[in-house]
Amino acid sequence: MSGAHDNPVAGSNYHYIARKRRVVEDKRFVTGNGNFVQDQDLPGTLHVAVLPSPHPRARIVLINAEAALALAGVAAVITGDEIAEHTLPLYHGLPLPECRWFPLAHEMTRYAGEWVAAVVAEDIYIAEDALDLIEVEYEATPAIVDPEEAMKPDAPLVHPGHGSNIIYDGDFEWGPVAEDFEAADHTLSFRARWGRSSTVPIETFGVLAKWDKGTETLNVWASIQMPNYPEQIAAALRMPLNGVKVNQDIDVGGSYGVKRGIKHTVLVGYISRKLGGAPVSLIEDRLVNLASGDAHGPDRIFYTDVAFDQGGVIKSLKIRAIDDCGAYPGRGPFQLGKPIAAIVGPYRINSVHYRPCSVATNKTGQVPVRGMGQGPTNYMIETAVDEVARHLKLDRFEVRRRNLIRSDEFPYLNPTGTKYDSGDYETVLGKVTELANYDDLVKRRDELRVEGKLAGIGIATCLEPSGGNNLFEFLFNPKAEISTYMEGCQVRIDSVGNIVGTMGTTTSGQGHETLVSTILGEELQRDPDDIRVIHADSLAGLPTRSPIASRMAVMLGGAAAGAAQKIKDQLFQIAAHNLNRPIDGLEYSEGTIFDRSDPARKLSWDELCNIAHRQFHKLPEGMEPGLQALHVMQVPLGGQMPDEKNRVQLYPCFSFQAHIPFVEIDPGTGKVTVLDYFIAHDCGTVINPDIVRGMIIGGVAQGIGAALYEKFDYGPDGQFLSGTFVDYVMPSVFEIPYVKDVEHCTPSPLTSHGQKGSGEGGYLGAPAAIASAVNDALEPRGLSIHELPMRMNDIEELLNGEKPE
Amino acid sequence: MKAPAFDYHAAETVEDAVGQLAEAGDDGLILAGGQTLVPMLAMRLARPSVLIDINAVSELAGIEQLDDGIRIKTCTRQNVALNSQLIGESIPLLAKALPFIGHHQTRNRGTIGGSIAHGDPAAEIPLIAVALDASIKLQTKNDTRNLSAKDFYEGPMMTLRKDDECLTDVTFPIWQEEGKLGVGFQEVSQRHGDFAIVSVAAQMVLDGNNVCQRVAIAVGGAAGIPVRLEKVEANLTGSVINQETIGDALTNMADFLDPVEDQHGSAAYRRRVARVMTERAIWEAAA
Repeated sequence: MSGAHDNPVAGSNYHYIARKRRVVEDKRFVTGNGNFVQDQDLPGTLHVAVLPSPHPRARIVLINAEAALALAGVAAVITGDEIAEHTLPLYHGLPLPECRWFPLAHEMTRYAGEWVAAVVAEDIYIAEDALDLIEVEYEATPAIVDPEEAMKPDAPLVHPGHGSNIIYDGDFEWGPVAEDFEAADHTLSFRARWGRSSTVPIETFGVLAKWDKGTETLNVWASIQMPNYPEQIAAALRMPLNGVKVNQDIDVGGSYGVKRGIKHTVLVGYISRKLGGAPVSLIEDRLVNLASGDAHGPDRIFYTDVAFDQGGVIKSLKIRAIDDCGAYPGRGPFQLGKPIAAIVGPYRINSVHYRPCSVATNKTGQVPVRGMGQGPTNYMIETAVDEVARHLKLDRFEVRRRNLIRSDEFPYLNPTGTKYDSGDYETVLGKVTELANYDDLVKRRDELRVEGKLAGIGIATCLEPSGGNNLFEFLFNPKAEISTYMEGCQVRIDSVGNIVGTMGTTTSGQGHETLVSTILGEELQRDPDDIRVIHADSLAGLPTRSPIASRMAVMLGGAAAGAAQKIKDQLFQIAAHNLNRPIDGLEYSEGTIFDRSDPARKLSWDELCNIAHRQFHKLPEGMEPGLQALHVMQVPLGGQMPDEKNRVQLYPCFSFQAHIPFVEIDPGTGKVTVLDYFIAHDCGTVINPDIVRGMIIGGVAQGIGAALYEKFDYGPDGQFLSGTFVDYVMPSVFEIPYVKDVEHCTPSPLTSHGQKGSGEGGYLGAPAAIASAVNDALEPRGLSIHELPMRMNDIEELLNGEKPE
Repeated sequence: MKAPAFDYHAAETVEDAVGQLAEAGDDGLILAGGQTLVPMLAMRLARPSVLIDINAVSELAGIEQLDDGIRIKTCTRQNVALNSQLIGESIPLLAKALPFIGHHQTRNRGTIGGSIAHGDPAAEIPLIAVALDASIKLQTKNDTRNLSAKDFYEGPMMTLRKDDECLTDVTFPIWQEEGKLGVGFQEVSQRHGDFAIVSVAAQMVLDGNNVCQRVAIAVGGAAGIPVRLEKVEANLTGSVINQETIGDALTNMADFLDPVEDQHGSAAYRRRVARVMTERAIWEAAA
C-alpha cells in the first residue's frame, strides 16, 4: 500500500497538504500528556453519583433521602422535583412542550436506568455508598418497548401529556413517484431493521462545573462535542449566555456525535450554584454511559418498495422509516432528516417517497451518531440494490454500474434538491475490485463453497454527505428558520513571527490541530510543525457549529485558508508600502515578499511581522497594528431555503466509498468471520493521509460492529440488558481483519483545496457491505437476513432452526 | 461503579490466609488474580468485609509433577500454565483450553484456582476440571479435604467450598490407558476472549483399531454447571470411532442440557450448537 496515500492530488504542488505528516495531537496522547476532564484538579471538588430507576416506567411516589444526607461526606441529595422547580426543561429539536425533559426523572420514570436522584459528596465512593441509602417508592406500570407497538392508539404512553408516542411523522414526495412505479417493469418490497447501537467512546462523558461568584460566571469543562452547548446550558439554568464559559481546551476521548451531556451539565451547573460555587463533577461510569447517558444511536425499521426496469435500473423508492428515539427525543428525530441529502444514494434514482416517523419508547434517548442516520439509510439503499440484483438474477456489481451517477453528470441534482458536487463512482468501484483482486476472490469463495462452507463477497457503494447544513431541521420544523452553518478560524502572528491558529470548539480525535496547522502552513508557506493551534473558550470564542456533520475539513479548513489569505493580504500591503511597489508587482515565497522585477528588493517574514507589531511609522495609513485575521466561513451553497416542493440543497460535498468484504460463515454456529476487507475511498483532496486512513479503518471497524455484534438490548419488560462490555459486544482487534484501502481523488469544486469530509465514510458503508457479504454467503441456501446486528444466533437459527410450516 | 468499603489483608502464608478467613466468618473473600472479583467489587455485586490477598503467598503458586497427575497450585497464573511444558505434555486438554481464556493481559493476572473457585458455568478451566475429574483441595484453619471437580459445582457461581475454606490447589489426573491419547477443545463465543456461549472438551484414548478405550466429554455454557456427557461417553467407549457411532452416541444429547438463555444465544441455539461442538471436539480428539 505504500504510496497509495501520498499526495493523491494528481499534479498538485502542495508542500504540506496531502503529504504524510505526523499528526500533531498524537504526541501528547502517546506520551500520556492528554488533558481530559478527569485531569482537571480543582481543590474541593464534589462528586456526583446518580441513582438509576429500576423500573422502565413508574410513578415516583416518594423519595426519602434522610439516611443518605446523614452519611458523613454527603453535601446534598437532589431530586427531580427540585430540578424541575429551579431549571427549565432541556431542549428538544422539535417543539414538544408536553415531553418535558429534566436531568432527573420528574414525577415518573421513563426508562430503566433513568436518573431518579443525585448524590453530591466529597468523593465518589461516599456518593455511591449514599445511593444505597436512598429509599424510593415506585408505582410500576407496564413499559412500551417495541416501536411499532408504541405507534398503536392503545399503547402505554411515554409522555401522557403528549397524547401519543409519535414524536414526528413526515411525508415527503420528490419527483413523479406514482408514475415511476406505474411505468416500472418490476417492483419489490422488503423490511430492513437497523439495531440500536452507537459509538461507544473509550472516555465516557464527564463534566466539571464551577460557579464563580466573583465574576458571576459558570465555568464548565466538559467532554463535549456539539453545537449550541453553552446556549442550552444557559437556557436551562435561566442564565445569561455570556455568563456561561465553556473551556474548550479539553481533550475529548472519542465521540463521533455522542458527547452531548446536556443533562449532566445542567445538573452539575445547578448544584455548583446551589452550593455557592463548589466545583462539582459528574463522570459517567461505564454502566451509566451505556444505560442512561442518552447516547444511543438510531434504532430503525424500514419498509421499502423499489421500482425498477428489466435491466435492473432503479426508477423510484418508497420508504417508510420508523425510528425508536427512546424516552426523550432530543435531536434523535433529526437523524431521520439528515439522510434526505443522500436519500437516493449515489444512484440515478428519479423519484422518492419518504415517510419518516419518530416514535417514543421506554428506552434511553438518542444522540446523533456518526453520519446522523446516514448509516442506516445507506444500509437500506444497498439492500434495495442487492435485492434488485437477486430478483433479476443479475450481478450485484453490474447492477451498481448501471445505476451509479456517471462522472460526466456532475454537478448532479438529485430529486430532493441537493446537488452532488463531484464524483467518479465507477472509477472508485473499479479501483476496489482491482484492489480486491475480484476474480480471485470469486474463485476463493467458490472453492470454499465446494468444500461445503458458506462464503460470501459483499459490495456497498455509498455516499458520505459532508460539510453540514441542517436545513433538514427546517423541513421537520418550520420554526427552525436557521440557514447559517458557519465556522470561524482566527490567525494571529506575533511580533517574532510565530503563528497561532485559534478554533472555536473542542476536538475529539479528528486531528483539528493538524488540519489547521497544515492548511495555515500551506497557505503561508511556513512549517506547520511550528504553528500552534488553540481552542478558544466559548466567551472568547469564534462563531462555530462544532465538529459535527463531517464538516471540519471543509469548514474549519476553509476558515483557516480564508484567514491566512487575509493575513497575506495585509503582508502584501505592508510590503508594497515599504518597497514602494504596487502589490501586483510583488511575489510571496515562504514568508518573504520580494519585487518580481528586482528580487533583491524584499522584506523577510521577520521584518514584516516586526513592522506590523512595532513599527507603526512603517505601516500604511489606516492599517491597524498587529497581525491577526478572523475568517468566518458559511457553508458552500448554504443560505437557500426549501422551495414549495420541499426541495433544498442540504450538505454541499459528497464523498464516496466502495467496500468489498469477504466473509465466511460457520454453518454449525452461525459465526461470521470477516476474512478480508477492501475499500476504495474518495474524499477529494486528502489533507492528512494518516488521519483519513485512520478514519476509514476505524469507521470500517465500527461498521463491522454494527453489522455483526453491537446492540443495546432491552428485554420485553423494558429492562436494559447491555450494561457492560460483556453484553454490549464491540469487536476487538481479533475480529477486524487488516483493512486494505486505496484512495481516489475527485476534488470538490466548492472547497478551499478540493477537500470533502472523511470522518464517517468507513462506518457509513461497512454495515451494508457486511450484510451484502452475509447474504451472498446465504444465497446458495435460498436464505437472506435483513436485520442488524446479524448475530450468530440469528444466522444459525436461519440455517438450522425449525422452519415454520 | 466503585467498591464499598472493605478491609484488606495481604496474607503471607496459607495459614495466615485461612486464619483470616476463619476470623471473617462468612464475610471474607480470597483475592487471587482479581480478574473477576475486582469488577464484581466495583459493581457492588460482591460486598466482602475483608479481602484476603493471596498473591504474595509463595507456597500457593507453582506446578508439580505427581505420580499420576499434575498439581497446580491455586495462584498459578493462567499464562504460566499456558507456557508450562509439563502441562503441555501431561494435561494436553488443559493446554488446549488455556489460550481461550480472556486475553494475554488478563491471563497474566488471572489464576487457575481463582477460575475454578469462582465457577462460572461458561469458563474454560472449570470445564476441563470437570472433564478430567480433577481433584480440588480445600483448606481451613483446622482441616483440609479433597473434592472431585464433578461434585464441586452446584450451580452458576455456586460451589461446595465453604466460606472458611481456601482452595489451595487442583490436581489433574494423567490417564494411564494404553493407546493414542487425543484431545479436542471447541468453543463458540462472539469474540476472541469472551466467555464461551458453548464450549466442549473431549479427551479420548484410541487403540490401534480406532476403538475408543476411554473417553471424557464435558460441555460448558449449556447448563448452570459444566456437564459431563456420561451417556455419550458410555456409548462411545468400546466402539470404533466413525461418523455413524458418533452420530448414534450424540442422539438426543441435547435433551440432557439445560442452558440458560440471553440475548447472545437462546436455549435452543445453545442446545443445537452444543451438539455441533461436541461432534467437532470428538473428531478433534480422534484425529
